Amino acid sequence: MNTLGQISLFGAFVASGYAAFACSASWRRGHRGIGRSGDVAAVLSVFLLTTVTAVLGWALVAKDFRFAYVAQYSSLDLPWHYSLSALWVGQAGSLLCWAWMLGVLALLYCFWPRRSANPLRRPAFGILMAYVCFLTATMVFGADPMTPSLDAPRDGLGLSPLLQHPVMLLHPPVVLLGYAAWAVPFALAIAGLVSGQRKGDGSLSPEWSAGRRDKNSTTPAPLFLFFLVEARPWALFAWVALGSGILLGAFWAYQELGWGGYWSWDPVENGSLIPWLTGTALIHALMAWEHRGVLKKTSLALAIATFGLCNFATFLTRSGFFSSLHAFSESPIGWMFLVAMLGLATMGGVLVFMRRRDLRPARPIESVWSREALMLLCILAMVLLATVALVGTLSTTLSKWILGQSIVVGPPFYNNVLIPLGLILLAGLGAAPVSRWGKAPTVLRQKRLVHSTCAGGIVAAVACAQGVRQPLALAVAWLTALAAITAVDVLRFRVSRRQVARALVHLGFLGLVIGVTGSSLGSRQHEVVLREGQSTAWAGRSIRLIRLTQEDQADKIVAAAELEISQNGSVVATLAPAQHLYRHQDEWTTEVAIHSAWSGDFYTIVQGPEEQGKVALTLIEKPLIRWLWLGGWITGAGALVGLWPKRRTSKAIREMPIAEPQQPRAA
Amino acid sequence: MTTGRKLAIGGAVVVGVTAYMACLGGAASWQYYLTVDECLTCPDGHVGARVRVSGRVAAGSLEIAADRTWARFSLESSADASNGLPVVYAGPLPDKMVEVVVQGRLEATGLLRAEKVLTRCASKYEPGERPSSDNRDSRTGAEATR
Repeated sequence: MNTLGQISLFGAFVASGYAAFACSASWRRGHRGIGRSGDVAAVLSVFLLTTVTAVLGWALVAKDFRFAYVAQYSSLDLPWHYSLSALWVGQAGSLLCWAWMLGVLALLYCFWPRRSANPLRRPAFGILMAYVCFLTATMVFGADPMTPSLDAPRDGLGLSPLLQHPVMLLHPPVVLLGYAAWAVPFALAIAGLVSGQRKGDGSLSPEWSAGRRDKNSTTPAPLFLFFLVEARPWALFAWVALGSGILLGAFWAYQELGWGGYWSWDPVENGSLIPWLTGTALIHALMAWEHRGVLKKTSLALAIATFGLCNFATFLTRSGFFSSLHAFSESPIGWMFLVAMLGLATMGGVLVFMRRRDLRPARPIESVWSREALMLLCILAMVLLATVALVGTLSTTLSKWILGQSIVVGPPFYNNVLIPLGLILLAGLGAAPVSRWGKAPTVLRQKRLVHSTCAGGIVAAVACAQGVRQPLALAVAWLTALAAITAVDVLRFRVSRRQVARALVHLGFLGLVIGVTGSSLGSRQHEVVLREGQSTAWAGRSIRLIRLTQEDQADKIVAAAELEISQNGSVVATLAPAQHLYRHQDEWTTEVAIHSAWSGDFYTIVQGPEEQGKVALTLIEKPLIRWLWLGGWITGAGALVGLWPKRRTSKAIREMPIAEPQQPRAA
Repeated sequence: MTTGRKLAIGGAVVVGVTAYMACLGGAASWQYYLTVDECLTCPDGHVGARVRVSGRVAAGSLEIAADRTWARFSLESSADASNGLPVVYAGPLPDKMVEVVVQGRLEATGLLRAEKVLTRCASKYEPGERPSSDNRDSRTGAEATR
């Protein structure tokens, strides 16, 4: 099996390399035959990658310890689904998953039956295959998932107990899917930039650059229009995948790590957040391009940067270069990704600069109160937030180079920036539905904005009367209410599916804001030592330790503390926070118990194994945190509504002129 | 004033405010990131300063109070095995005290008074390391906060 896997992996490397070469060759020279052979090679390489993935998956489920990878991440007593999840736990496995997903997405992208021709599709496919080739190369030359064990052990090392959590079955592959999907807008952007504008359309009709087709116009479609049409759904898909992945990761950290938080601005967390932020900016920039023909260079630069930053995230986790609490080991693969990232950044910058004439805006931004100006402000805020996160992540390295001393920055560095930029984004989100493309809002719309602002003020006043005193919390309450009212209000007038999607995404985001603000500003923590039968009062609750229990299970010993939580004299919950001793790893892990409600979570942790009928407890109150998870899922659902293929649009795309094969610089 | 100029001024203001806030936050929260050996060889330079030290807990040095309200341990030095960096921490410790990151202040006596102890997920990918490896993935980080 090892041999089959190794041969398949090497075959996939060669085949994807050839596919990349053939696709670009047929694009430049227009050779049909070479292009055909490239397609065959691409399908073959994805087939071989599927084989490798299947072999490794089978080996993990069957616990075949002749594979070094299986011996390292699995063990005989591990349930099969957690054993299979080890496929994306280790370095080699996650690279394999990424390459395989990218290959499948590339095939889907290129061969999905569509009637419209897109001259950028073939070169973009070539670029995607080149990236598959790069990923397989990192496996062939860096981390080979098929390496055989020197002498097959009887049992493997097993999976870390912290990763034996249902959410961990989903979090890594969903993030990887997001990374893989960002490759499509990137490939389209590069393909468009390399091809440049079509010959003979030096004078563009504004209808084209605005993304709408004038039926009487005889001008051929500018190439970048194809980027615009096809990048949007893929960007949206990648955005949903990456966002859900980050949210799942945060949820897992909250449930499993047992410190009462979900985000700590750690380099690895930042690594995934940065491309998500630039990706969000990209989706908005694409809308401005579509409707007004502005922000073209910004869109292309963001498409390239987002994918480059996905590489950076991989570099962060693979290089051991950064002081993270949880980084992967040091390996040459990190450096391969760094080189790839720097290459992409340089190439992207040079290409956008070279094509600056083709990317002139169709018209200037005419009013500072128009929707595109508002979007520009929000894009700036998102990019700034991403930049700050990047600088903070790199602070250790940068300070070592500049000052000769390693310095790290703490969460206040990020939070200080998050507050003003978050408020700008919230205000923009509130004003977006009443704004208009190209012009300042009408008097009627201005009135609606004023009414919503007053209503938001009332909500903030009510919150103040309820005892919320922090100015920041009141500001967020005011802006959130304002944004929620305008988002819902607009649906009374005109309802297209994209508008429903936008309202859902924005409302979900508001839920997220409520959760983040409430749980970070209102969080309280209390340490207490209790004996059996003893009770304590804290945060308006009475907590009684009923008894301490110890139970032997197959793979672990569970030592739990049964707590009775009562509020206003009635019992609201019985919680059993515990410590688990995993026999295989001989280590204790903390299992928290949470009583969740819309007003907030009550989070309990047992500190260490109990002794002589008494136990140390940490109690944490996290207000409103449920809104964070709810908001996240609504946002994802809203984006999926916007993503659902639409018949009318596809008809519009079908009416696009059939493009001839491109021959840039041939004449 | 043209729209473009208004936009540029607005953008510059946002960038300026962001940079200023980032500097404020950075100034309030930066810490020296040191190795155990750097702490031991040059303690004077960092006395009183906020430091973050990552290292291994010396075997057998961990002492935890019965009620788990404080703990004492020392961090191994790679240069001199007999000499470690003593750490005192008042608060509950995280689960796995093997490789840790300690945040706190260095005292003149050479003692590190911890404000936060986090477990670090070390690289356990390479074969040949301790077989009872405890942290194999990207994400581990039980944290204890005062």
